[in-house]
Amino acid sequence: MRKKLSPFALEILAIALALLILIPFFMIFVNSFKGIRESALFGLSLPSTWEFSNYKDVFKQDNILRGFKNSFLLSALVVVCVNLFASMAAFVIQRRGGKFLNGVYMAFIMGLIVPVSIIPTIRLMDVLHIKGTYFSIVMYYTAVLLPFAVFLLVGFIKSVPRELDEAAILEGCGYFRLYLKIILPLISTVLVTVSIVVIVSVWNDFFGPFYLVTDSTKWTIVLQVFNFVTLYSTNWGIVFAFMIVVITPVLIIYLFLQRYIIDGLTAGSVKG
Amino acid sequence: MEKSKYPLYFSFPAIIVFLVFFITPTVIGFYYSFTDWNINASSIKFNGLDNYKELFNEPRLKQAFTNTLIFAAAVTVLQNVAGLGLALILNEKLKLRNLLRMIFFMPYVIAPLVIGYIFRAIYHPEHGIVNKFFDTIGLDFMMQDWLNDPKFALFTIIITDIWRVAGFSMVVYLAGLQFIPKDLIESASIDGAHYWTRFKHVVFPLLAPAFTVNILLAMIGSMKVFEIVMVLTEGGPGYTTEVFYTYIRNTFSSGEMGYATAINMLLFALVTLVGVPVLMAMKKREVEM
Repeated sequence: MRKKLSPFALEILAIALALLILIPFFMIFVNSFKGIRESALFGLSLPSTWEFSNYKDVFKQDNILRGFKNSFLLSALVVVCVNLFASMAAFVIQRRGGKFLNGVYMAFIMGLIVPVSIIPTIRLMDVLHIKGTYFSIVMYYTAVLLPFAVFLLVGFIKSVPRELDEAAILEGCGYFRLYLKIILPLISTVLVTVSIVVIVSVWNDFFGPFYLVTDSTKWTIVLQVFNFVTLYSTNWGIVFAFMIVVITPVLIIYLFLQRYIIDGLTAGSVKG
Repeated sequence: MEKSKYPLYFSFPAIIVFLVFFITPTVIGFYYSFTDWNINASSIKFNGLDNYKELFNEPRLKQAFTNTLIFAAAVTVLQNVAGLGLALILNEKLKLRNLLRMIFFMPYVIAPLVIGYIFRAIYHPEHGIVNKFFDTIGLDFMMQDWLNDPKFALFTIIITDIWRVAGFSMVVYLAGLQFIPKDLIESASIDGAHYWTRFKHVVFPLLAPAFTVNILLAMIGSMKVFEIVMVLTEGGPGYTTEVFYTYIRNTFSSGEMGYATAINMLLFALVTLVGVPVLMAMKKREVEM
């Protein structure tokens, strides 16, 4: 390229590419208001008659609210566990170091790469008599997401000066208070990033609950989508309405938090 | 301050959870992969290398192995090309820059399962908007049965996944671009370097950390692909889009747990063999920096 493309041409190009992202969303949106025949055509035109009843039918399913509740509960619990355990561990891994903790750090880094052995995990839950409980699935997600959180936090705690620790300890502050009152507030931006990544991972995951949750009253919203499509794939209008209901909260959260998501990834990824 | 005074027990909750719920299943998985564990049998017997022997004679494993590697290689390359391209465009002073960045990242926050269902409709042979589009612009010969034609199915899944993850790479590259000092680029352009030269000699080397992160994440993520394949093709037609996790799922459903665990162990070996060297390279460079 001899000269740079003009900003105008670049802008047009970028908008055209953005349409590629938006059109699929638009497709499910318009079709979610169409009747059974029209929605099966998957077209991009506006509905000939607007079938708001699709949404009414979706909300009539009481397992949807339950699905949301389960997804919300699991995400919240995993966020707390991952942030708490990972920040405590990252704090001593970075500050104390030594053979043992370096080994632990390496084990977490390996956990970042290697895949979960899902069938033995089911077996383990069975042996521990916690199969299908909220506790088991929270522990599963915590274990899976800890490596990433530890990795990010160790990198970040490096940037918190040790002099702060010294000053605090000289003032008579214990190590727990040091962690709670000084370290935690200073790493709060990364904790936000960790939380967002955890929420997105848990909320959107199908793999874990598909294998680990047998009891349908504990199904997450994504599992409900799977079940719903299997049952209702003859009426795409309702299926699309359900999808809109499922992705809207995620998109709203994303709209509000996207600055943090993008800044957090920025800070974490390239630093790490 | 003495390092040893930092309380070791702070690390215990994380270690315990990770040890019990991650490392233990991996270790017992290793054992179970040498057994005939079957959901219908009353007991689990050790049967040595039988599962692995059977697997290596199974053309389906070869398919899953090849497809996973093709998928991972293609996604890693294309995701990075697309992500870097988007990042370079959106690093310019465009009016809609922030809005566009937000749009490109959007698919990443949607459940892959839902994305799979959306694209099943989009690739529908008669009504899907892909074929409708080709029909409208007069390229009828481009109309294909994207998901049911063995020639195209894997390719279609790859494109769908790129659609989903390109924005993630974009954000990481944008981050990398922000770390490049503006005056470096300016002085290069004053020296008369054209865009491409500047890119090759200034931008590209300084983007190295973003490249490593993106390539590592794309590689390990794509080898673990599951939902998109499951929803779009279930590994078919035939076994032409079978990947490790769809193979595991099907074996799991038929109750052959020992066998399914052996497949999982092979995936474990594959990801470790590919991922660890990349990670080591990354760590080494980190020390240098």
